[in-house]
Amino acid sequence: MAKEIGADRLGDFYKAGSRVRKRREWRGVKDTMYDYSRWLKIMMTLGKFVMKPRNVKAMLRYRWMANYLAVPMMVDRHTQGLRGEYLRMCHVEQDLIIDDVAKLLDNLFRGDRRTGNDTEFSKKVVLVDENEMTAVMMGFPQLKCLSRETPSTYVSVLLNQHAAEHYLDVAQEFGLAGDVCPMPAAEAGVSIDDDAPVLGACAIQCNTTCDGSLLGNGVISKRLELEDGVPVFQLAAPLRHREDDVQEYAAQEIRNAIAFVEKHTGVQWDWKEYFECAKRVNYATKCRQEWLDMNRTDYPQVFGSNLALYTETNYMAICGRVADFEKADRKLSKLANQAFAAKKRAAKEYRHRAIIWGVQSHYYMDFLVWLLNCWGIVPLTDMLSMVSTKMIAEEDTPENREQAYYDMAWLTENMIMRNRTHGGYRVLLDELWDFTQQFNADMVILWEHMSCKALTGMHGMFEDRARELGIHLVWVGHDLFDPRIISRQGVRDQINNYMRTVMREEPIDPSLEVLPDEESW
Amino acid sequence: MPVCGLTYRECEKLKDLKHFIFFEDLLMEAHNKLIKQAQEEGRICVAYTCENTPEPLLNLPGAFSARLRAPRTGSMDIATYYLTSFLCEYSRALLERAIEGGYNFADCIITPDGCSMMNRCVENMELLKTLGKDKEKFFYEYMEIPMKSDQNGLNLYVLQCKNHILQPLHDNYGLDISDEAIRKAVAEHNRVCELIRAIGEFRRGPRPTITGYEFHVITLATYAAPKYLLIDKLEETLEELKVREPDEQSDYRARVVVVGSEIDDIDFIKLVEDSGAYVCADRFCYGSFPGRDPIVLNDDEDALTQICRQYMQRGQCPRYMNTEKMLSRRQYVAELAKEYEADGIIYEQMKFCDPWAYEKMLGSHILRNDYGYPVLAVDRPYSIGTSGQMRTRVQAFVESIEIKKIQGGAANG
Repeated sequence: MAKEIGADRLGDFYKAGSRVRKRREWRGVKDTMYDYSRWLKIMMTLGKFVMKPRNVKAMLRYRWMANYLAVPMMVDRHTQGLRGEYLRMCHVEQDLIIDDVAKLLDNLFRGDRRTGNDTEFSKKVVLVDENEMTAVMMGFPQLKCLSRETPSTYVSVLLNQHAAEHYLDVAQEFGLAGDVCPMPAAEAGVSIDDDAPVLGACAIQCNTTCDGSLLGNGVISKRLELEDGVPVFQLAAPLRHREDDVQEYAAQEIRNAIAFVEKHTGVQWDWKEYFECAKRVNYATKCRQEWLDMNRTDYPQVFGSNLALYTETNYMAICGRVADFEKADRKLSKLANQAFAAKKRAAKEYRHRAIIWGVQSHYYMDFLVWLLNCWGIVPLTDMLSMVSTKMIAEEDTPENREQAYYDMAWLTENMIMRNRTHGGYRVLLDELWDFTQQFNADMVILWEHMSCKALTGMHGMFEDRARELGIHLVWVGHDLFDPRIISRQGVRDQINNYMRTVMREEPIDPSLEVLPDEESW
Repeated sequence: MPVCGLTYRECEKLKDLKHFIFFEDLLMEAHNKLIKQAQEEGRICVAYTCENTPEPLLNLPGAFSARLRAPRTGSMDIATYYLTSFLCEYSRALLERAIEGGYNFADCIITPDGCSMMNRCVENMELLKTLGKDKEKFFYEYMEIPMKSDQNGLNLYVLQCKNHILQPLHDNYGLDISDEAIRKAVAEHNRVCELIRAIGEFRRGPRPTITGYEFHVITLATYAAPKYLLIDKLEETLEELKVREPDEQSDYRARVVVVGSEIDDIDFIKLVEDSGAYVCADRFCYGSFPGRDPIVLNDDEDALTQICRQYMQRGQCPRYMNTEKMLSRRQYVAELAKEYEADGIIYEQMKFCDPWAYEKMLGSHILRNDYGYPVLAVDRPYSIGTSGQMRTRVQAFVESIEIKKIQGGAANG
C-alpha cells in the first residue's frame, strides 16, 4: 500500500475465481479520496438509473442488462496503478462515458415498446449502428440518436468479458459460420434472440468497418424493418475513402440519409446546430492532435486506454453533438499540460515506446494499462485513435452548407477502424511505419483479431516491413468478443513470451505476469 | 449410388459432347491455350477477380478478359503466411498461384473492393510484385463499386468504370474506349450469353439432355478463356444438344439449385451430381445466373451507363446492402427454383467468406420457411476434391427430399 507510482504489486489484488478484486487500491490520502468520491458518483448514477420502474423492468427483460452491475469494476480496471493527473484524466473520461451510456439506456427503455413504451418519445428517436459515425445526426437537435447495439453488445463486453458469448452461440445455432467477426455476429445474435429494445421513427445503418458488419446489418434490418415496422436507411460509405472520385457518391449518401430522417420524423435539418457541432468536432480534433504531439515526446500524457476509449466515444458516437464532451476535452488538456510541464510519468519505468495497431480486444480493453504496469511498454497511440485530423467547415455560409455534406461524408468514411481497415494498404500498412517514426517508437504491438479479414490479410506484409525497418513487432492474437477462443491470459502470454525470449527482459511488476482473471469482470 | 454400382457420372448414358474435353482442358490451367492464342493474335489480357467488374468493358476490341482461377491448387503455404489461414481459400489460392508466377500472362489486373479478402489478395500480389514480369505497361487498378442499387450507385459505377477500367486501358494500351467500341464488345458478350442461356435451357424438364456438371464446365470456360475464341465451339455444342438423346430414365433422385459464393472448382458440381442431385440451376459467382444474362442496349443512352445499370440491378452479390436488394436475392433464388422445377436448394459458402456466411444463414432460413423449399447449407474449401464429408451431406439431403416427397412434403410436416 503506497502513495508512490509503481510501489504496489498490482497482481496481488486479483483473486482466483472471483469477479471482483480483493480490495480497492491505496493511492495516498488525496488520490484515494478522489478515487472513492468518483466511485460514489458512479454508484449514484447507477442508483438514479434503477430508481425508474421501466429500467428495472428492462433489467429483467434484457439478458445483457445484468452486465451493467460491473460498471464500477470496469473503471477500477482502467485506473490500476494510476495517480495524480493520470487518475483524474481517466475518471474525467470514464465517468462521462458512463453517464452518457446511462442516458442512452434510459432513453432506449423510455421509448421501448416492451418497457417504457413512450410512443411520442419513440417518434423522435432515430436508431443508428453501434459502429457508425453520427455525423449525419449533427443537425437534428430535436431528435434522439440512439444505438441499441452500443449497450447490448459493445459496452457489455467492456464490462463483462463473457457478455457476448450467449449471443454468439445463438447466431451460430441459427446457422452463422463461426469464422466471422464476433462483433457483428453478436449483434446479429441479439437480433435473432429478439433481445433489443424496439423503438424509433426510423433507423440508419451503415457499412461500417468490414464485410461482416455490413452483412450483419441485414439480419438486424430484417427484424427491425420487416417485423417491427421501423423503416431503415442503409448509408453506404465508400471503401476507398482516400480517392477523390468517391467523394461525390459519399456526399450524396449523406444528403439521402438526411432526407430520409426528415421524411420519417417530420423534423427539418438545422444548419445552425450543425455548425455548432462542427465547432466541437474541430475542437476535439485540435485537442487530440495536441495530445498526440505530447505523445511524440518523452512525456506522453493522454495515452493508452485513456486515449483509446475516449476517442472512440467522442469522435464517433458523440461527433460534436454533446457539449459535455467539449468540457471534458478542456479538462483533459488542462491536466495533460499540467503533467507535461512537470515532466510527469504514469508508471515508474518506461522501457519501450509502442504503437498499438490493429483492432483491440474488447474483452481485454485494459490490456494497455497492463502493458505499462507489467512491462513498461508505453502505448503511445493506437490505430483506432489515429482518425481524421481534417478541420471541417464551421461557419454557416452558403458555400459551407454545401461543403458540410462532404465533411459529414468524410467523417463517416473515416469512422474509427474503417479508416484503416478500408481504403487500401497504404492507410493500414504504410502509415503505420510513418507513425512509428513520428512517435519515435521502437515497438509495434499488433492486435491480430483473428476474424478481421482486412487486418489478417496484411499479416505477412506487416512482418516483412517490420523486419526491413528493424522494429520489434509483437503479435497479439485475440477474438475480439470471445475470450473462450483466446483468454485474457492467452493475450498476456503472447507479450510475456516475447519480452522474455526475444527481449530477454524481466517484468517491472512480476505479479501481473499471470493473473487469475478468467472469471473476472 | 445407382443400382448399377457405378457413380452417377459413370453410369450416364448421354453421348459425350464433341467439344467437352476441349472445354475441360481449358479449365486445367489458368494460362490456357486460348489465352495464349489470343495474346499471339495481339490482344491484351485483362485479368479480374470479381463478378462486379463489368465484363464487356474488359473485352473491348484488342482486349479480352480472364477471370483468375487457380486450378489444381495444392499447397497454399506461402499465401497462408501472407494472408493467414483466416482468409478464404480462393484468395489464398490466387495469391499462391501469383507468387508461383502463374499469372504472368496477364497484362493488367482490375479489381473492385468487392470483399476485403479479394482486395487484400490483389494488394499482396501488388506488394510482392508477383504480376507483370517483363511487362512495362502492366497496371493494377482498384475500383469502388456501389453497395446499393440506386441512381447514386449508378453514378458511382459509371465514374469508377471510366477512371479505373476504360481510361487505364486507353492510356496504357491505346484501346478504343468509344461508345461504338463498347457496343461492339457488348454484342460479342451477348452472343456468348445467348449461347450459354440456350445451352442451359436443356437442363429443364424431367429428362434433361445436359448434366449440371457439363453445363458448369462450359459456362466456366466462358469466364476463363477469351470469349471470341469460344463462340464456334459453343454454337456447335448447342446444335449437338438439340439432337442429343436424353436418358430413358434419369438416375438423379432430386433436382437442386446451387446458390452461393464463387465456385470455379469443377469437382464441386460433379460431387453434388455424383451424390444423386441434378444441378438444374446455378446461382453463384462463375455461374450463369445472372452472370450470363445478355445486356440489352438501346440507342437513347450511352452504352457504359446502360451496362453499369444492368450490372447493378441484376447483381446478386450479398454486398448489396439495401433492403430491396436483400429481399430480391432470396426471391431470385425462389424463382429460379420454381422455373427449373427444383426439389431443393443447396446454399454453399466458401469457408471464411463473410458475405456469404450471412447470406447463407438468412437465405437458407427464408427459402425454407417462407418459400417452402428443402435447403441444405454447407461451407466448403476452395478445392473440394472427393470430400467424403460433403458427399455424405448431399446424399443425406437427397434422401431427406425423397422422404419429404413420400410423406407429402412440408404440408405433412
